[in-house]
Parts: sequence; C-alpha cells; structure tokens
Amino acid sequence: MRANPEVLILEDDAETLEDLQGHFTRKRFHPLGARSASRALSLLEHNRYSSRPVLAIIDWDLGKAPDRSASSGDVLSRLARELRECPVIVYSQNIDAFNVRSQIQRSHPRALLHDKRDGDASLLERIDRMLDRTVGDLRIHDGTVVVHLPTLAQHHHREAIRLVVHHPDIVTFHSDTATKAVRRFGEWLHTRGSAVRLVSHGNRKYRLSVTASEDAAPGIDS
Amino acid sequence: MSGSALDGYTVSVSALPARPTPVTPTLAETARGHGPFGSLAMRGVEGRVVGVTDAQSMLGVRVPDRSRAILVVTVDGELAVAVRDAVSRGMAVVRDARSDDAGAIAASCLPWPWMIVGGSVSLPPALAPVLRNRPVLTYWLGSPPLGLPGHARVFDRPATLLDAVRRACDATVGGMRLAPGNGVELENGTLLRGAALESLVSAYPAGFALPARTFRSATDALTQHNIGWETRRDGDQSTRLARSTVVAAR
Repeated sequence: MRANPEVLILEDDAETLEDLQGHFTRKRFHPLGARSASRALSLLEHNRYSSRPVLAIIDWDLGKAPDRSASSGDVLSRLARELRECPVIVYSQNIDAFNVRSQIQRSHPRALLHDKRDGDASLLERIDRMLDRTVGDLRIHDGTVVVHLPTLAQHHHREAIRLVVHHPDIVTFHSDTATKAVRRFGEWLHTRGSAVRLVSHGNRKYRLSVTASEDAAPGIDS
Repeated sequence: MSGSALDGYTVSVSALPARPTPVTPTLAETARGHGPFGSLAMRGVEGRVVGVTDAQSMLGVRVPDRSRAILVVTVDGELAVAVRDAVSRGMAVVRDARSDDAGAIAASCLPWPWMIVGGSVSLPPALAPVLRNRPVLTYWLGSPPLGLPGHARVFDRPATLLDAVRRACDATVGGMRLAPGNGVELENGTLLRGAALESLVSAYPAGFALPARTFRSATDALTQHNIGWETRRDGDQSTRLARSTVVAAR
C-alpha cells in the first residue's frame, strides 16, 4: 500500500501558503495547510489517529492570521509533546534574535531554524534537501519511495521515509505495525548489502547508521 | 541481550534492561494525571514533582525524553542558543531552562541530564539532588555558585565553554564514542546503553566523586564486552575510565 506522507504547513500569508501547498502536492506529499495556529492544532487533533506528518513547516510570526487564539509556540509545543519524531522547520524574519530562538527552543527543542529574509525559494530549497535527501547509498524519490542507488531497488513505506528524513536522529515508532515496517526495512537494507544499516535503541526507537566511507555522501542536510 | 542479532536487521546491543518508553496516549489523559506525564500534571503526591502544570500548554522543553540532554540554565536563554549552535544535530538535545523551571526540566531528562550548563544564576535548589547523586557533566560560565559538585568545570569565557561542550560530545576513549541520541558506540558498531558510561567517556581522563554503585552498569558493560577498559576508583574516591590491568582472554 502506498500512502502519500502528510506535511503540516502553518503560514499566515494566504499566497505563500498556497505556494507551499502546491510545492508539496507536486512532490506527491499531502499538505495539511493552516493560516492560524488554532487551525493547525485542529488538523493535528483530527489526524492524530490516521497519520503522523513526516514534516512540519511553521511560520513563527502569525501577524496576518485570521484567528489569534493560539500561537505558533502552542503548535510547536504540541508537536514536541505528541509528534516528537516529526522534523520541524521554523522560519521567521527575526530568527537571528536570541530571544526569538530561545522561545522557539523552549517550545520545541529539536526545531530547525530558517531565516525568512532569505526568501521562499531558500525555504523550498531547504525542504527539498530534507525530503529528497541522500543518506549513504539511499535516496528518497518523490517523497514516497526510498531507492537503493546501487541496485535501484525501491522500498515503499512512509516509516522508511521517516527514518531517512530523520537521519542521524533517533525515531520512535508508536505502533506494532510501524515497528514491523521498520524491521522489514532493516531486512531490506541488509539483503541489498546497503551501506546503511538499521540500529535499534530499544523501546521502538531506531535510527539509521552509515558506514564511515559513505558518511560524507552529498545531500545530507545539517 | 548481547551479540549479533540473528535476524540481520540490527546489531544493537543493550547493556541494560530495557525501560518502558514514555508514551502519552492523549493530552486529556495527561491532564487527568495519568500516564508518564502524570508527575507534571498532578499535585504533590508522594514521589511526584510538587506543582501544577497545565499539560495542554506544557512547553516542549518539558517533555520527558530519553535522548541525551544538555540542560542550560540561564536568565535569558542566550547561552542556550550558543550551546545549541555548538552541538552537532542528533548528538544531544539542548534544553533551555530558567531558574524557576530547571528542576522540572531536569526531571524530564531521562534518566538524568547528561550535562548541565549554567551562567549568571544561582544554582536552582531543585538541581542539587541530581548533581549530588548522578554523574552529570557540569560546566559553568563565570563565578561558580554555591553547591556545584567537585567535578564541575568553570569557564571565564563563553568560547572556551563552548569548546569544552564540543569536546565532550566528540570524546573518544579506547574506541568508545558517544552514539547519536544516546548510548556509547564501540568500534565494531556495537551500541552500549547506559548514561553513566556516556558521562565517563565524556569526562575522561577526569571522573566523578560519587559512590561506586553509581557506575555499576558501566562496569558491567565494560566487563561483558571485554574491550580493554574498566572503571577505576582513585584515592580521592573518584571513579573514572582506565585501561584494564587484567588482560582478559578474548
């Protein structure tokens, strides 16, 4: 079964939100777009049991949001509490200000930061680097498949994509189904002689590890 | 469990019994005081954190997590931002704390914070027990406050403190190095889990003046894997890593 992975986008500017949603749709992701933090929280609530976004893009400054009953910090805290394995990019015009960065880090200690002044193209480029990334001899293609480059073998599962997107971080999987999928991915890597291997940290926590000679492969986001 | 996995998908080795992963089924459940976040949601039941926290609005920095954690306690968060920039992604999570929530955030670092960094604040009383009983790397910027443990390192300049943080993350002793997230990785890729061993690797060649029982899991893991290193108790009652004096048969 192939299910397009979801991406949560919180952006108060309607035009920018449309651009971002279009970008993800073209890449075969399913965008969950919101112009206000309360709407984003609602989307997370309603998608809790059906899916878990593989990425969240959060605009820190929500001055144009139609509803200001919640803040981007509330969304970040919610993501940190309930979707810790979802990578988060936070962008702001004031990302250089240490007090803004401190507020973001207290809301979500793992959030990645991006400077909005670099423009939308810069953000999209960074997102593409994360989602179409290469780890060792693996590459994500079209957001829905992991390709083993030496053999061009494909592995279709969102949990495999999540592991590659997260590298080198540990990912916690929350169901037996997800854990089984991850183990199958580990077996798939092993049978293909991949330079990437699955490492278990116990308690449904896994990460990918790349042999030293492959570690410097291009395309790894920092 | 030790040794190579039979099913070929992992070579992970646990040096410790597995502990349950904190899972919060719903925030509503947490708000009622159930689940692993219960300590943050309930009033002062014996053995639980005293205080009331609204789980619905709890900051992400207070979420319990078993990843390696650097707790940075400052007035304004500026040093925490700098520490985060100094640490490689995936190596450790930087938790930005203030004096009034440092205790609660330290409690959410499981099993305990790998490192505590501070500056321009007095030592929050809530941190005293963990510093007194656990091998926590302690780095302080500026005048050291009362209550810092004997192994604490004090720095005059932020740059030297940040260098020390980087060196602690990148420490390698006898082929052992910190694995991303948590645990210690051996040269053959074997993963040893155990917070005390992580602290000993990063503190090497120094150690910690704590009871020997604190390092029992690290001692057992080193003995079990026979990698030529052991924990050793010095004359000053400090425990540190040292090359094995007994050459064990491999």
